[in-house]
Amino acid sequence: MSEAVEVLLLDDEPIVGRRLKPALAKLGCQVEVYEDPKEAMQRLQEKQFHIVVTDIRMEDIDGMQVLEFVRQRWPETKVIMITGYAMMDLAREAMDKGAFDFIAKPFKPDDLRRVIVMAARHLGFEIDYQPAGDDGA
Amino acid sequence: MPIIAISANHFELGGQIARQVAEALGYRFLGRELVEEVAREHSLAAAELRRTLEEPPNLFNRRSRRRLLVHLQAACLERLQEDGAVCYGLGAHLYLTGISHALLVRILAEKPDPQEPARQRWAQEFFQKDENDPSLYDMVLSLASIEPKQAVEIICETAGYRKFQPMTYSRKCLQDRLLECRVHQRLMDQFPDVRVQASDGTVVVQLRGLKLDQRKKQRTVRDIARQVPGVEYVEVHVVRSFFDKAGG
Repeated sequence: MSEAVEVLLLDDEPIVGRRLKPALAKLGCQVEVYEDPKEAMQRLQEKQFHIVVTDIRMEDIDGMQVLEFVRQRWPETKVIMITGYAMMDLAREAMDKGAFDFIAKPFKPDDLRRVIVMAARHLGFEIDYQPAGDDGA
Repeated sequence: MPIIAISANHFELGGQIARQVAEALGYRFLGRELVEEVAREHSLAAAELRRTLEEPPNLFNRRSRRRLLVHLQAACLERLQEDGAVCYGLGAHLYLTGISHALLVRILAEKPDPQEPARQRWAQEFFQKDENDPSLYDMVLSLASIEPKQAVEIICETAGYRKFQPMTYSRKCLQDRLLECRVHQRLMDQFPDVRVQASDGTVVVQLRGLKLDQRKKQRTVRDIARQVPGVEYVEVHVVRSFFDKAGG
């Protein structure tokens, strides 16, 4: 594993990537942002990321498929699900399929940072993290 | 670690199973002892609080008992913010629905308590829920087919399933539920029929009233609700009362 935490962020809403990439970069993460799930899946086929953050409801390929693929291809990778359609059944399904965490939109960048830090620490990374007040994403 | 809320048609038997589950998993047990704590905290009569949990309300005590129940509910939700607890005898299975890390279990003894019909009315009156409806629970265990010891084992095993583990979303839902309860607590003396919904610091309050005093009520509710820690924004909807509608 490299020194930096490598994160793949997939959300078909461009604003999400634009907001979250700098927020995660502040933690020292190397972030690759994708809006097209197919492109993201191609990238995930060839490269192991430490953490994958994926939206659930997307066209063509949904986040659950991404989760299943990553869990099978890279079992060590932590997958964090984000969705604007959070419901108990969906949350349970994601956890059952091996998601590391499940976050409902809208959320604050700091909410995701906190989860990323937890996931990274699970993987053995040491990250200095001070929660900061921020605007909703 | 999840929260486990157990309900049973035989109070004593259900309590024994709940305590054994807590012991086996090393979880905290949250039961009727909470009544004494809430009574002390709010200077209320513990006996009346106990009756609130045991008896269905009548026409005369419905409002006062509903208020007591909100205090109990808030205290219970406050303690459940920390994972790894077994809750029994507080009706928590009726207000933890929709929380994904709450494992809701119903125990069916072969011979139900004689008080069971009253208990059903209690759930219906306060929560508009049928305790016998299996869809309310994640698991219904019949003691006609298994021993209490096996029921404990099954519950413990199920609690280990990934789908019942807490996550950011479910913890937030539980925090929202507590915030709703705290706002309700502050408002209920002045506005007994208030309904509160909370999401991430935003609170929506619904109450009945005349169009005439709508603005005043909205202002009062907003002022009270804003005092609750965690409340960032308050929206108040005054639904026209029966008298207002009748008046045109």
